[in-house]
Amino acid sequence: MGQRTLNIGATTGTPITVWLGPVALTILVVLLYFAPHLVNPGILFVVGMTLIQSVFALSWNLLFGYTGLPSFGHAGFYAIGAYFTGAALRYDFQLHFLVTLVIAGLLGALVALAIGVVALKRLTGIFLAVLTVALTEALGKIIGFSPALGEQDGLGNIPRPIMDFGLFTVDLTHGDDYYRFLVVAVVAIVAGLWWVVHSRLGRAFRAVRDDADRARFVGIDVLRYRVYSFMISGGTAALAGALSAPLTRIVTLDQVNWLASTQPILNSLLGGFTSFWGPIVGSVAFSTINYWTRSFPGLSEMMVGGILVVVILVAPTGIVGMLGKLRDRFTKNGDKA
Amino acid sequence: MMLSQAVFVLFNGLASGMAFFLVAAGLTWVFGILKLLNLAHGAFFMLGAYIAYTIGGSWPESVWAFLGVALLSAMAVGALGYLTDLIVLKRLRGVDYHYALIATFGLMLFCEGVAKAIWGTDYFAVMPPPEVDRAIVIGGSYISLYTIFVIGLGILTFLVLEIIMHRTWAGKIMRAVSNDPWMSGTVGINVPMVLMLSVIASFALAGFAGGILVPNQALSTHVGASFVLFAFLAVVIGGLGSIRGTFIACIMLGIVESANATFLSQYGGIAIYVLLAVFLVWKPNGLFPAQGAT
Repeated sequence: MGQRTLNIGATTGTPITVWLGPVALTILVVLLYFAPHLVNPGILFVVGMTLIQSVFALSWNLLFGYTGLPSFGHAGFYAIGAYFTGAALRYDFQLHFLVTLVIAGLLGALVALAIGVVALKRLTGIFLAVLTVALTEALGKIIGFSPALGEQDGLGNIPRPIMDFGLFTVDLTHGDDYYRFLVVAVVAIVAGLWWVVHSRLGRAFRAVRDDADRARFVGIDVLRYRVYSFMISGGTAALAGALSAPLTRIVTLDQVNWLASTQPILNSLLGGFTSFWGPIVGSVAFSTINYWTRSFPGLSEMMVGGILVVVILVAPTGIVGMLGKLRDRFTKNGDKA
Repeated sequence: MMLSQAVFVLFNGLASGMAFFLVAAGLTWVFGILKLLNLAHGAFFMLGAYIAYTIGGSWPESVWAFLGVALLSAMAVGALGYLTDLIVLKRLRGVDYHYALIATFGLMLFCEGVAKAIWGTDYFAVMPPPEVDRAIVIGGSYISLYTIFVIGLGILTFLVLEIIMHRTWAGKIMRAVSNDPWMSGTVGINVPMVLMLSVIASFALAGFAGGILVPNQALSTHVGASFVLFAFLAVVIGGLGSIRGTFIACIMLGIVESANATFLSQYGGIAIYVLLAVFLVWKPNGLFPAQGAT
């Protein structure tokens, strides 16, 4: 396919560019943390959802961009996390909120393990994509039949948690406080994913993606690493869902269909799936377009759809890939692929 | 089991199966020849339904007027298919299929946006043509004539496609291009032309299905999504690109869905996924695996 240049963590270049990334990131995180003082609650909610969508898109891209497996039913994992956390808070399972989050992530990873062991042995490509779509639709049906999960109406009135650490408590019932917790959690998850893709594990994923046969030849258990990738991705998607439930305070079936599954795909492709940061850039770009066009019927779909087609035709590596090419052209000392 | 119930399940199942097939036919055709899974197929089906509604209004005068309107919307959507091919699909030939999936998904969103901008978000209803807008009694069960009409058209479409694919020159050329485009080119077949005509035919089939199925449910911008999901499942179970396999898979899906709705109505819609899971594990390449399909 030609476009898969590995431009991950591209810190080759002048010393300024080496420092630019971390400094910009720090400023961004600080800005995000103090956002409640800077913007109105409506925009704050959009920012919070964008953070969650970023994690969701990163989780999808770990599977697709790094391991070469497309899932078109990723919303299923998101929904598992969202519904579990929603139910845990609403019916007061007597769990610490952090424990709830961990269980939500583990649930997602376990479901991914089950699917992975059965399906990844024989299915890749389009068949895997369709199977994941079907399983997500089936999950949506099952939730639709469960009175405890609100059937068609969704699970509403989800309270925000109060975390008790023994010596002190952290009260997240206010929206601004929960938002700050969200920023910290998202930064931690993103750091974790960054570590995964830059570790031996991430290298093995890329080897499996680039050439499964050769990876097998050098002793990588391809199936096992595909299942690992699926588990980490599913668990992270479930965490994204888990973080979303107390923010939106309602979990509905809209989050469990194949159209919802395409959101992380759009964000990853828009931002660029060959770069670690691409999915985040894509999520921000998508939220911005959506926010601007929200009041015109049809315009938002036309814009998003049109942009997507143009991106695929003109710049298949997305916004980040395109910026990288521009930078290479101007600095002229980047190592070209 | 009562006879009337069996008849009811059978006819309803066949009817929804043939409705799926009308939508799936174009999808499987274009997949078989271009190896392109067109996610926008449902959106063009929806455009076909809207065009039929705009030309024909909500009360068709007769079956013939109804069929004529469906053919007109087939032509209109076929023309849209030509444009789409020219602008988008032509550039997707030979790229990795992930890109094609995303691009056709973008097309789907775009079409939904266009439909919302032109026709708004209200629901429209279209009645079946008067000749078939009544029910008859078969084996103690009331069956709508429109249901039988759809079944007949589905079978007719299948036969026409089968004959074109397996009994005519055009079909031979298309199968040759599908198997080996490079070799077909060297023996003098105009490959780009064949691919373009296949895309137009597939889109025209989507438009025709839209025109025929518009009385089936309320017309909205979501109408494509519900049909196309089943069409995908049928195409996968049948073997990607195989019209015969898709036809059989559609009948199976329709009957399973109908039996599910009749006997286990509290868990409606779940059996299809069980069937799909069984098939993907038992026959991962579908009933009639097409050569060269990934």
